Order: sequence, then C-alpha cells, then structure tokens
Amino acid sequence: MSDESSIVARVRELLAQVLDVPIGSIGTEFSTATTSSWDSLNHLMLISEVESSFGVLFSNQEIVDLTSVDRIVTAIGRHLASGR
Amino acid sequence: MTSMTTAHEVDSSILRGVAAKVAPGSSWSAYQAAARTLDKLPIESLPAHLRARVAVLGSFTLEPFLAVLRVEGARAGLWIETYLAPYGQYLTELLDPGSALYRFQPNVTFLAIDSDVIWNQRWAENPPLRTEPVVGGLLTPLFAGLDVFDRAGSGIVVVNDFVLPRRSTEGVNAFRNKGTFAHMIAQVNKHLRLRLATRDNTFLFPLADLVTQVGRDHAFNWRTHYRGHVSWSEALMAAVAQRYAGFSLASLGTATKCIVLDLDNTLWGGVLGEEGPGGIALGAHWPGSEFVDFQRELLDLQRQGILLAVCSKNNESEVLEVLRGHPDMVIREEHLAAYRINWEDKATNIRALAMELNIGLDHMLLIDDSPHERAWVREQIPELRVPEVPADPSLYANWIGSLPSLVVLHQTSEDSRRTHQYQESRTREAYRGSVGSIEDFLRGLGLRVEIGPATEGTMGRVVQLLAKTNQFNLTTRRHDETTIRRQREAGAWRVYTMRVADRFGDFGLTGVAIVEPAPDTWNIESFLMSCRVIGKSVETALIARIAADARGAGATALSAEFLDSGRNQVASTFLSNHGFAPASDVSWTRSLESPGPEWPAWIADAMATDGAGR
Repeated sequence: MSDESSIVARVRELLAQVLDVPIGSIGTEFSTATTSSWDSLNHLMLISEVESSFGVLFSNQEIVDLTSVDRIVTAIGRHLASGR
Repeated sequence: MTSMTTAHEVDSSILRGVAAKVAPGSSWSAYQAAARTLDKLPIESLPAHLRARVAVLGSFTLEPFLAVLRVEGARAGLWIETYLAPYGQYLTELLDPGSALYRFQPNVTFLAIDSDVIWNQRWAENPPLRTEPVVGGLLTPLFAGLDVFDRAGSGIVVVNDFVLPRRSTEGVNAFRNKGTFAHMIAQVNKHLRLRLATRDNTFLFPLADLVTQVGRDHAFNWRTHYRGHVSWSEALMAAVAQRYAGFSLASLGTATKCIVLDLDNTLWGGVLGEEGPGGIALGAHWPGSEFVDFQRELLDLQRQGILLAVCSKNNESEVLEVLRGHPDMVIREEHLAAYRINWEDKATNIRALAMELNIGLDHMLLIDDSPHERAWVREQIPELRVPEVPADPSLYANWIGSLPSLVVLHQTSEDSRRTHQYQESRTREAYRGSVGSIEDFLRGLGLRVEIGPATEGTMGRVVQLLAKTNQFNLTTRRHDETTIRRQREAGAWRVYTMRVADRFGDFGLTGVAIVEPAPDTWNIESFLMSCRVIGKSVETALIARIAADARGAGATALSAEFLDSGRNQVASTFLSNHGFAPASDVSWTRSLESPGPEWPAWIADAMATDGAGR
C-alpha cells in the first residue's frame, strides 16, 4: 500500500521526467494551466504510466479532470482505497 | 584515424553513455527524460557520419516513439534528428514533392503503417468479401508515393509489413475463406514484398517478426491505442527503434564493417591452452552445439560482406590447428580477413587489425565473453563498438541478431570476395617488405586498371562505394541510385568506374568518379577509391583518363573540390600532386593546355575504350 507522501513523490518524479521541469518546482499546485509542455499527448502518456505504476484505471472523465498534481494524487488515493 | 576528441566534444561514447541510463524497454518517461538530456548536448562537434536525419511517416500517433528512437539511436552511437509527418498524413507527404518531408532531406524515411488501414477498409466493403480492392486500395497510392519519392527524395525508404494485431474471431474455417482480415493481411504482405523487392532504395521492415519477438500480447497497448492512437507498447517501440537505428547507421555508411572475435568461450567452450584442441566444447551435442550455431550465424554475416577477424590471447599455432583441423569448426581460416593471436593486450591488437584492414575503429565491433576485457577495451578505444555479451553461451546465436549495427544495405559481388582480397593483401605486404623503392614495388605488382562508364551491373557497387568510402574521397558526397540515374539521363553527369587487379589478385571495382562535363570546364563532382587500392597510384590513372576524355571533348580545364570531412586526409594532396592549383578555400582548377596528368607507365590499361558516356 502506498502512503500519500510516496504517491506524491512518484507523481512528481514522473512529471519531471515527462515535462522536463526541475522536480523542485513541482508543488501540489503544479498544473496544466501553469505548464505549457503538459499538452494532451504528454497527458495521455503520463496518465497511462500513472495507471501502470499504481495498478489503477481511470475513467474518461477522471482523465480529463486530472490536470494537477493535487488532483492526480487524490484520484490515485481514491482508487487504491476502493481497491481498483 | 586517431581520436581527437576533447572533454568538451560529444562523441559516440558520450551518446552511448546517455542511453546506458535507460534499459531497453524501460517506461516511456525514462526514455523521455534521456531524450531531454540528448537535447542539451553540444553536438556541433559531432562528425557527419554520426548524425542521421530520420523521417517517420505514420498512420497512427508516433510522437512518443521519437524519444525512444533518439535514445536507441544514441545506444548505437548515433545522433538522430527526427522529422515526423503530421498525424495520418503519410500518403499526402509522400505524394507532394513540395512537402516538409522532402525539405527535410532525410537519410532514411520510415513508413510506419498499422493494420487499421486494412481493418477499416475491410469493413467499408459491403459485403466484406473481396480482397483485391482492399489490397489495391492500399498499395496503389502507397507505391505512387514511393515513385514520387524515388524521383524527388533523398536516401532510402523502409516500409513495414502488416501484423494481425489481436486474436482472431474469424473462426476455425477462416483458412478456407478469402476476404478475412487474416487473409487480407497475408495478401497485402505478399504483394508488398514482391513489389518492394524490385526497387533499389526501398526496404521491407520486419515488423511482424519484431511483434513475434516481443510477443503480440505485449506489443500493443490497447489502452493508449483507443485513447490517443498510440498503438505500440513501450516494448515494441524499443524493439522497432533499435532496428530503425540499424538502418540509420547503414544509410550513413556507419554500420559495422568488421567483427573482431575472441576465441575461448566465445567461438568455442573452454580454454584451448588448457584443454587442447580435443578438449574444447564444439560439436553436434551440448556442450558445444550452441557454439556451432553461433559460428553459423557469424558466417551468415560474413557472406553478406561483414569481415570477421580474430583477436585472442592464445598460442597462434594451437589456434591455427583448430581453425584448420577441428572437424566441427564452421569458421575456418579462409573466412578470416585478419587475426592477432598472441599475448599482447587486446586494444593494441585491435588497433593493429584496424591498420591492417584499413577500417576505422568506429566501424569495428568486438565480441568477447570476458567482462574485464570488454571494460578495458572500451576504456582504451571509446569509439569501438563493444556490446555486452550474454553470460550464457546458449544465448549467443539468438543475441547476435539483435545487434543493430550489423545491417548491410547493398550486397554486391565485391562483398563476397572481400575476405579473400584481404588475404591476398597479406601476401602483397610480404612482397613489399622484400623490394626497394616504391616505384620498383609498383612495377613489380603488375597493376592492371580498367576504366569505363558505370553500367546496370555496376550501379549497386557505385552507390555502395559512394556511401561507404571515407578516406580517399575528395568530396564525400553520398548519392543514391535514383539521383545518379536522373543526373546521367539528363546528361549532367558522367560516371566513371575503375577496376583494379594485380598479379596477386583482383581488387574488383574500387574507384568511382562523377564528372559534370561543360563545354570549357569539366568539374569533378566526386572522386573516390576504396581503401584497398590506396598507395598503388591507380588514382593517377583515373584522373589521366578523365583529363584525356575532357581534352577529346574540347574542354580546356578541369575543376575539383577537396572538402575536408575530418577523415579524408589521405586524399588531401591528390589535387596539388596532379597539377591542380587552388582557386578558393575548397575549389581547385587545372588547365588542360599544359600536358598531363600522365597515365603511370607501370599500370596496364586493361580496356582502352572511350571513357564514360551514357
């Protein structure tokens, strides 16, 4: 079971790799609105890696809404808690 | 051929170092991070033969693949600059000579087409039974596009075959029926293969084979396929990218020309010096059969034109006994272009092999089972290819086919003779040691030269020499067959070929010159010789013939260029030695009013014809 801080750490690491931003600059507020390289294609690949990393499956509406670190971490936690 | 790399410059070992941080088949984010690292390298110092311009035209989303391609290219020591056609525009781009694809001037263009283009057409048919319209509907525009590319494009084109992407629901009777998805894929592949085989600069990419290798269930990512048409899984992306890197290396003339082999536990099991010729593991049964298969795979590569050499710490006489007498050896002395079997260190021996064979160290690849030897040689010769070797010899035969740099694009009759030619040169060098002056040496060689126009039969070799010759090459311009034909037919180029032989053997077609004849001045566009005939003064015969033809046509001068590629120093004095005077930094002219250049008296003219016409 991943606790919240390790989920945050993994999500920040993935974002830093995919979007080429320093990991230190990725806070919980970090979002598609503040980051031009976070485009739809990077989003697709990012979400797919988040899913396989944590063994979860997001719905279409969730994918559209997962636009910040905060939201991604919350959604992962919700899926892990409900067991899928 | 010394490495002049300083700490600030990027070379192939630095590119390999970036890729080494990402294991093949890693997650896409890891590839993406490594590709960002590549972006930041100062690559200005990287030589042209390590930079590939690669175009990818796809029927599905390939943006994520580009990061994987660039990193797998770096793993092969190559910097890849990519061009990706807009989504789904592969035919439009190919058919329009004004498109961004053509402006990009790629060394190699990959067409990545998924089977949806067949699947969707099949369902557009009503009822979905007739195969021919589907096959024709796909291949007719595709080949029209390839025809446009042949006339207007640059480099080679590589087109994948089609794959049944998922388990079939077409039932146990599907094999009886036409019009099934499986049948259509088989038909498209058959026609694609037959039609590609008739074209010179077009190659088939074995995607179906790679999907088999990765495993179909692991080759496609259906989630990203439906969400964004990213169909290839990370595992398939890596496998494809490694093969693409191999084609890219070959398109630049940077593929492996010579494999240097260790012996103990590489070509046979055990240590010859301890077990003796009868004790090594080599034969029809295990242990030993795995080495026989590995040797067979190596021999297949040798037959395509890749040289085999041996570098081993052993007693030479014992090794020769095995090479000549062991009943189960597949690789024999006659298959080896050269060998160094002694107790010197391997880096020194490999450098000596490079000198003897006249091949750059960055065109050689070492296969050695010892991790210590590999690490040491890598450190001593950073430009040498030294891949990791499986710890288990059972895996050697399957592993060798995974090395990306072993791609031979144009196999010619010269290739199959090459090992023999290097062996003749050993006899020749022995003779050189026994005579006095260089002129006496050349007279004694009994040189014969035959110069004539390029023909249908020699065109493949001409393209190959243009693509591969790095040392004695005035301009290092690479031209593909289409360009040469087009220029010749337009009357813009005369293409000369030169065959060379001496009393020790036949070197084959080893010289090419491309001349642009104008009324007053004939310009030498390309002038090159294989390294096998450097030092025999045959280049003088070729320039003498060109000068004679130019005079005969009424021209009064020759012009030429020497473009320093960093590797063609051996050709740097050619123009000044033959009466050319510098006209600018790179261009030279020679008046034909003054006599010469003279055909060397010690070279026999094997065929006094009227030069290279159409």
